[in-house]
Amino acid sequence: MQQSETILSLESIQMRFGGLVVLDGIDLAVARAELVGLIGPNGAGKSTLFNVMTAIYAPTRGKVRFLGRDVTGVAPHKICRLGIARTFQLVRTFLTMTARENVMVGAVYGAGSRAGNAAQAADEALDLVGLSARRDMPTRHMTLSDRRLLEIARGVASQPALLLLDEPMAGLNPTEIRQMVDVIRRTRQERGIAILWVEHKVDAIMKVCDRVVVLDHGVKIADATPAEVVANRKVIEAYLGEPAA
Amino acid sequence: MRASMSIWAVIAAALALLPFWPGAIDSYAFSFLFFVFIYAILSQAWNLIAGFGGQISLGNHAFFGLGAYATAILWSGNYLWGSLYESHPRIYYFDPVTMAIAGLVAALAAALVGWPLLSKLRGDYFALGTLGFGEIVKVLFVNGGDFTGGAFGIVAPSSTFDTLLPHYWTGLGLTVAVIIAIGLLMRSRYGLALIAVRDDEMAASANGIDTLKVKIAAFAGSAFISGVAGSLYTYYIFHVGPDSVFDLDWMLLPLMMTVVGGTGTLMGPVVGAFVMYAVFDLARIVVPDYHPVVSGLAIILAMLFLPKGLARIGFGLPGLVRRG
Ligand SMILES: Nc1ncnc2c1ncn2[C@@H]1O[C@H](COP(=O)(O)OP(=O)(O)O)[C@@H](O)[C@H]1O
Ligand SMILES: [Mg+2]
Repeated sequence: MQQSETILSLESIQMRFGGLVVLDGIDLAVARAELVGLIGPNGAGKSTLFNVMTAIYAPTRGKVRFLGRDVTGVAPHKICRLGIARTFQLVRTFLTMTARENVMVGAVYGAGSRAGNAAQAADEALDLVGLSARRDMPTRHMTLSDRRLLEIARGVASQPALLLLDEPMAGLNPTEIRQMVDVIRRTRQERGIAILWVEHKVDAIMKVCDRVVVLDHGVKIADATPAEVVANRKVIEAYLGEPAA
Repeated sequence: MRASMSIWAVIAAALALLPFWPGAIDSYAFSFLFFVFIYAILSQAWNLIAGFGGQISLGNHAFFGLGAYATAILWSGNYLWGSLYESHPRIYYFDPVTMAIAGLVAALAAALVGWPLLSKLRGDYFALGTLGFGEIVKVLFVNGGDFTGGAFGIVAPSSTFDTLLPHYWTGLGLTVAVIIAIGLLMRSRYGLALIAVRDDEMAASANGIDTLKVKIAAFAGSAFISGVAGSLYTYYIFHVGPDSVFDLDWMLLPLMMTVVGGTGTLMGPVVGAFVMYAVFDLARIVVPDYHPVVSGLAIILAMLFLPKGLARIGFGLPGLVRRG
């Protein structure tokens, strides 16, 4: 991990909405093909951090660097074309399209758009998440689980170097969760895509990730291997202290 | 899909041959169909930005009027053809260059107002902004002095025509051309982006789509088509005045026709234009005093019983209903 190339680095990111400081001095690095978990109690600022990385918000302070470039505040579609794909906590698929058309959007307009053969990229991405059989199904008829998988496929089809997943397991049943873990693992292994994975279900993160980052009230309180993080006193307090506070 | 398209091709061919039917040219049906073509073109234009693009434009009548004025001004001022005009006095009549410029003037105006209005994520800015734009343009033309002919407007130099035949064929040809162009467009990568923007703008931009560019292009395309329809109307009406060509009806009727026919479908606007224009015209003839009531009722009934429109046919991407 130490020797591999850093593709994303956040430098003392601060995000403030009016008087509310939601992110405070966040430093974070992700290496090529690394699988990093990002956890923290509700309202810790995880989704906001994603929105800063994908330029939905411009941070009030700090820099986002990706593949050696300063991409702070660059337009969201350009961020995608540079190689950062994402999913949303509240799933955002194109509901009047079929599954394959959804994935084609990523393939045609994403980072891989110049590499040609969008159709092949789309079909491979559908295959990776196991939706090939439902490729012609209208998205509005799909289950939540399939829509979450579809969002991942759309991101993969854009051929990113980094994929941001915002609670891909929320609302899924145990079978679907197992399937999702498998897809995330294979996305990294078979495609070499680095993944930053926000999840509420901490146990899944701990089992699969190379490294886990913990946010609490907009501050990074841990950034280490899963084994180190579960033993971290601050982390235990943030989680166990939550109901009492 | 293929089967339904060949049905449309047969209908278009039959309409093209209709003038050869004895007496057809002088029949009422002939001028009726000419107006159906104008409304079908305008409905296609509105459907492009609102049905496929999800951006409700309430200013499309302004583009119709701009196209009509551009044609009348180019023609009466002889800005294009110089001395050729003397040797060929009918040179402006259905002149493709004049009609294309009419469309381009409208498209340029759309790009200029679309830029600020479409930068906002919220659609109501666009709807109200375009409505305001329509009013502003009308006032500008009323106060445009000699160039626009003020409140009276402009009368195009040639003030008679022997037959509606060129109007009919041009109208039919443009309707078919617009359908084919939009059909191809919606199958292209641009069409994919437009639907993506309509369905979820944030997801579209997160997947590499320059949403502002896509929306402005759709708006400019919609304006271009409306402007060409305005140009066609000038060749029929000759007198282009602010109260006639900037009338809100040039936006409202195509809007209703599209909604009744099927928003976000390829053939819906055409079916809607035909059906609604027939209803309006019939009401105008049969119950002249009550025709707004009858027409209004027809619209309400259509919305109640056909919420997805009359036409759900002939389009590759399935289920293109209004945005959820
Ligand atoms: N646009 C916004 N305006 C004001 N406050 C916001 C905005 N977006 C997020 N927040 C606040 O930021 C905090 C962190 O939210 P979020 O990033 O969604 O947390 P998480 O994803 O970790 O649950 C919350 O208190 C939320 O209310
Ligand atoms: Mg969140």
